[in-house]
Amino acid sequence: MKLLKKAPLRVLLFSLLSMLAVAVTGTAQKQPQNVEVRIRAILASNQSDEFDASLKGLEKQLRVLKYRSYRLLNDESQNIPRNGNKVFEIPGGRSLMVAPQEFQDNRIALLVRLTGGQKPLLDTTVRIANKGNFILGGPPHEGGVLVLSISAAMQ
Amino acid sequence: MELTDRELVQQCQAGEMSAFQELVSRYHQKVYMVIFGLLRNREDALEVAQETFFRAYRKISGFQGGSSFYTWIYRIAVNLAIDAQRRQKRNPLDFRESMDGLLESQGEAARDPFADFHDKELREKLTIAINDLTPEHKAVIVLRTIEGLSYKDIGEILGCSEGTVMSRLHYARKKLQDKLRAFL
Amino acid sequence: MNGCEDKIASIELWLDGELSGAESESLRVHMAACAGCSEARRRLEKLQSTLTGVLLSEAQRVDFMPFWRAVQLRVNEKRPWYQDALDWMRGVLPASRLAWVVPAVIVLLLAGVSLESYWRGGAGRNAFATVESIDAYGRNVALLREYDTKTTVIWLYQDQEGENEAAEESAPSGPAF
Repeated sequence: MKLLKKAPLRVLLFSLLSMLAVAVTGTAQKQPQNVEVRIRAILASNQSDEFDASLKGLEKQLRVLKYRSYRLLNDESQNIPRNGNKVFEIPGGRSLMVAPQEFQDNRIALLVRLTGGQKPLLDTTVRIANKGNFILGGPPHEGGVLVLSISAAMQ
Repeated sequence: MELTDRELVQQCQAGEMSAFQELVSRYHQKVYMVIFGLLRNREDALEVAQETFFRAYRKISGFQGGSSFYTWIYRIAVNLAIDAQRRQKRNPLDFRESMDGLLESQGEAARDPFADFHDKELREKLTIAINDLTPEHKAVIVLRTIEGLSYKDIGEILGCSEGTVMSRLHYARKKLQDKLRAFL
Repeated sequence: MNGCEDKIASIELWLDGELSGAESESLRVHMAACAGCSEARRRLEKLQSTLTGVLLSEAQRVDFMPFWRAVQLRVNEKRPWYQDALDWMRGVLPASRLAWVVPAVIVLLLAGVSLESYWRGGAGRNAFATVESIDAYGRNVALLREYDTKTTVIWLYQDQEGENEAAEESAPSGPAF
């Protein structure tokens, strides 16, 4: 109690506040152990003008592609540990392997491999914001094209 | 017929500098008394007193008359004096030297040398004892020396209740009497 | 005197002119008869008169005209804009509050920086996905960044020679972007 009385109160409280701030900052910078990856497989075509209501959250992004209709084919999420990988089954006999590589400044680096049958079609490393996504599309499917929304969130 | 403070303020607000001069004439010594009581340094007190009237001049157009002019001007004076007190970087020795000079000059006018000596010592001790009070207690005891200021007025100036003024005065006087018992 | 401790506060009120007429009279009569209260009154009056004497005699040395001229000088002087800003700030933020403002601002800045880097919405500064490497195994691939929606698109074009085993029907050649 004597020590408390002697030390200027403001200095003490400022130190406490600073430690709290550092703790908050430290928490934010802590490396996550898992990443939840979500793959939505979408059929984009010009065969109709329908827009699947379940794709409402992606509408603005999908409209960039200038197709007239979008239909959700598959929606799958998986937790992938750091330095691990998971394979997602994609319509049309394809598969998508996703491997989180590193986390820095609240961004996740993902190694992504699209495979058609046994053949690799595309390898890419993409760094996305936490809870962000990117679009991978182009493979033909059922009179339209396959569009994949790949998103990731740190756990 | 002498104009009231309110009438002078209205003339100031209409742009009459002579009205403001009259207000300064009425209150400059009392304002200085309050500030000097808080700062205990002649140069600083003069500086702050001049600044008080300057600020009053700048703000007079916004003066609504909700309080009397004198509580308003004393409020400005006390706030500026407390700010100046915080910035005052004089050490106790400088303070003592400036007060010694002040008390010597005041002592010149006394008639009875023995009474003068005793009174001088009391004044010196009183000045030091007052300086040991907190700014809030110092403010009430100094404002109470101004003739005509009631507890209500002092409360308005300091932004506290009459009860607070009363208890602060009581505390300050008790502290001073304890320190000056031998001289009172 | 011990029995008159409670009278000290009344004596102070009486000295300060805060008692009613009847209360004043009652106290005055008591003080005339009580040596202790009379002595308390004497000390309080001496204290008050000494302080008033010190301040009054000092104030009487302040001549009006020089004082007024100094005030006029301030009124007529053109103050730099920052002086007014500083004065305003000193009024709103005295040193005691400022001592809290500085660490509070530092903490808020730290919290803001950590939160901003922790939370990523679609409208964040770094919302764009960055393609660090790409290998389409000889196929044509296009990269698109759409700024309004902060969307990164990797588009894999259909292989002309039909090497893409998943090709079923002829699909549109590509998006219209």
